[in-house]
Amino acid sequence: MQQRRSLDQAYTNRKLLNGQLDTPKWWAPTVIVLGILVLIGIGVISVMINKGLGVTGLSRPVFWGLFITTFVFWVGISHAGIMISAILRLTQAEWRRPVTRAAELLTVFSLLTALVFPLIHAGRPWRIAYWIMPYDFGRGIYPNIRSPLIMDPVAIGTYLTGSTLFLYVALLPDLANLRDRTKGWRNSLYTVLALGWRGNPRQWKMQTVGGILLSALMLPIFVSVHSIVSWDFAVVPAVEGWHSTIFAPYFVIGAVHSGVSAVVTMMALMRWLWKWDDFIRPEHFDALARLLIVVATGWLGFTFLELIFALYGQDAPEIALREMQMFTWPWNMLFIIFFLTAYLIPVPMWLFKRVRTNIALMFWTSILVNIGMWLERFLIIVPGLARRTPFVYTWDSYRPSAVEWTIFIWSFAWVTFLMLLFSKFFPLVPLFEQKESQVFTDDVMIGRAKVPAVLREAD
Amino acid sequence: MASEAVAQGHEAEHHALPAQVAPDVVARELVATTMGASGRFKAIAWTLGVLSIAGIVALVLKWLDQSDDSTRWGYVAALLSFLLSVAGGAPMVAMAPVMAKANWVRPVTRIAAMFSFASIVTIITLIPLVAILPPLVTEGARRRTIWFEAPDYSPHIWSIVGLVLLLITGIGLFYSAAIPDFASMRDHSMGWRQRWGKKFARGWVGTDSQWRTLRMRIGMFGTFYFLILVFVNFLITTDFGQSMVPGWRDAIFPMYHSISSFQAGVAAIVIALWAARRYMHLEKYVHVDAFWSLGRLLFALTLLWVYFFYSSFIVFWYGRSATDISTLNLLIRGPMMYAFIAAIILIWFVPWWILIWNKVRRSVNGMAIGAAVILVGVLIDRIRIFVPAWSVPPDQIHEKWLTKIPGTVYPDIFDILIMAGGISLAVLIILLMTRVIPVLSVWQVQEFNLLSKPIKYVRGQATMIAKPD
Repeated sequence: MQQRRSLDQAYTNRKLLNGQLDTPKWWAPTVIVLGILVLIGIGVISVMINKGLGVTGLSRPVFWGLFITTFVFWVGISHAGIMISAILRLTQAEWRRPVTRAAELLTVFSLLTALVFPLIHAGRPWRIAYWIMPYDFGRGIYPNIRSPLIMDPVAIGTYLTGSTLFLYVALLPDLANLRDRTKGWRNSLYTVLALGWRGNPRQWKMQTVGGILLSALMLPIFVSVHSIVSWDFAVVPAVEGWHSTIFAPYFVIGAVHSGVSAVVTMMALMRWLWKWDDFIRPEHFDALARLLIVVATGWLGFTFLELIFALYGQDAPEIALREMQMFTWPWNMLFIIFFLTAYLIPVPMWLFKRVRTNIALMFWTSILVNIGMWLERFLIIVPGLARRTPFVYTWDSYRPSAVEWTIFIWSFAWVTFLMLLFSKFFPLVPLFEQKESQVFTDDVMIGRAKVPAVLREAD
Repeated sequence: MASEAVAQGHEAEHHALPAQVAPDVVARELVATTMGASGRFKAIAWTLGVLSIAGIVALVLKWLDQSDDSTRWGYVAALLSFLLSVAGGAPMVAMAPVMAKANWVRPVTRIAAMFSFASIVTIITLIPLVAILPPLVTEGARRRTIWFEAPDYSPHIWSIVGLVLLLITGIGLFYSAAIPDFASMRDHSMGWRQRWGKKFARGWVGTDSQWRTLRMRIGMFGTFYFLILVFVNFLITTDFGQSMVPGWRDAIFPMYHSISSFQAGVAAIVIALWAARRYMHLEKYVHVDAFWSLGRLLFALTLLWVYFFYSSFIVFWYGRSATDISTLNLLIRGPMMYAFIAAIILIWFVPWWILIWNKVRRSVNGMAIGAAVILVGVLIDRIRIFVPAWSVPPDQIHEKWLTKIPGTVYPDIFDILIMAGGISLAVLIILLMTRVIPVLSVWQVQEFNLLSKPIKYVRGQATMIAKPD
């Protein structure tokens, strides 16, 4: 059943600009608390850079631990934006409208956060310069440009640039709206950012065409980013459990699962915090949950294939690794939590419309998914390394240190902090999309039934 | 309000917009397409019939002549995979947009569901291959398969069970969606069609309860069909492909095959729809919009195909272990290198350049050309994969990896006749089905007309599409 209400433009402006034109009471204390957490995180990172990676739990043979897991996790979260925004825009899904901005924003901020992890993981971040510089100028020793480790930052950088542009193009009409409602320095800021937007037919046409073109261009980048991240692992035959052809689509679909769930979390928070009940409605959660059921089940299929073909080879070390992952403490506990939270608890719940339209339940189940998806990455990365070339004196496994956990928590505080700062200056729900939705949707009578309808371009 | 403006525009300009066909006219005209057969239709049917018989005879002769040499059966395995891809994939392609409430797909569903019957040919092709497929344990050694410690003949049994289930579910899907049309035939035709219509309509009068049951059945069969299709793709690709080659471990291959199957299915639907529109004069019901939407789907699947291919290739190419190199040498660089190049060009490069243009996607003939290129490409790709896989001598099946790459196996006269006959028989079955029931679903076309109304919007034309829950 459609829950759409007729909303006039003045009401839409007033409600959706309430974050920019007024300041909600909870905003300042929350930003201060998050700011403190961010500062603590930056302090810990500085200490780690000063002291070296010895303060982490990383040690032979596990040199990729919590940082790389969290890097993959945030790259995964970043897949929400393009999945929601570009694909749903191209397929003209009407329910996408209130979701797009938040999703695009999550992409940009999570990518910015993801990039920090390989940087600090290097131990001495200034050595990242060797990524493009020769190791030795005199002898001209260059890094291997065919390595996925080189292609990673290229792909992520392209994705970040494209996503920012995508976000900005969609923001233009709303920036003009803010320009016309503010005074002083804010007016000057919005005037510059709005690029002279007046909303004439030519500008609208260019904005629409730009959006569609960017959507189409961003899709291959979106797929390539996590594929390249997956190839960091998959092209290495030396580590058990990594050398699998399925990793690229498996990582991408996992990222979509994780990213769309993060959007659900964010949508629920936006509805509660800014009281946008008229704009973010249960029908939107319903649609997102249906999408998640499909994505999660596809992901489960890939998980099954990954597992079955790991065993298919019947190689003793590979089987031993899987036994360790599933039956040896503490990996077995993590494996059970991963499987329960990523699929077995949320998906059966989403089969019921009551759950799909219950925002609190959607909020908590979406958080569960991301706990599971983080664990999935951890279970892919660490156990394989832990079994690699064990020495006689390797008698303990990898255990993340307090420094690593603090930086991990910092990443969440940092993304939330950036989101809240953004919300102070720019609307989190696109106003023009809401208004367009009012024009493009209607109810029509078919027989005696009132049926929701949408307007589409004719043949 | 915008909706009022739309309504006023609709009232004022309605006379300028294309008129919609009344439901009873739709029923009469579509039922009439099943009656009579033109000279061209008969000529094509006879040709296909002769080719089919020649194919079956060739299959029997090949069995008598070469049943002891599994390396000669690669082309039959490729045909099995190709038929599974097209006949299995097409009905699913029609189901997915229905579940997503896409209105454009309504005129396409029947023609897609008809492909289910072609799975009969897939089963015929499977029979000799099952007999030739080596058991899991030979000479006391167990080879690598997905069956691990299962009984020796598990792949043989489950592949048959899977394909038969796919056929039954496909026919169930077809029939459950065809009941209202059988009622239309009961009401609008004569002779044996009327009698069959009465029998198969099972008292359909279109009550609320009957419609609810119908939709529930379509949903159930659609879901089961999808699950079985994925399962069968998994079985056939691993048991009749990967496990024949020592060292070939490719987790993405079943998914690659499924994606390719959906691509081939959409391509086959486009060609069938093009033929139905052109030769049955159904322009009034099959709009360009359907081709446009199928074009976008086909384009997306074409890109997905290359993504799945590359995901597999890069891991082998970069990994450079002995198993990786031997797999690449067999499937890409070795005996089928030219087939590989042709497949890449026909499945990806040419369709990509054709379908990227909106003008082509919005044209009927352009789409048919793109789809035909893809179908040929998929056939070559199946040959590229399955012929080398079957050409590995059975005595090497237990090795860690392939140490000696077999030479190119060219098709003999039996293979050519079997492939031509198998494809002809599949086409013939679909062609004959168009004499039994309308090629477009009457009730879906009626519903399409009911739910979509062309309207005048501002200075242009638009369509108002109702989306019932």
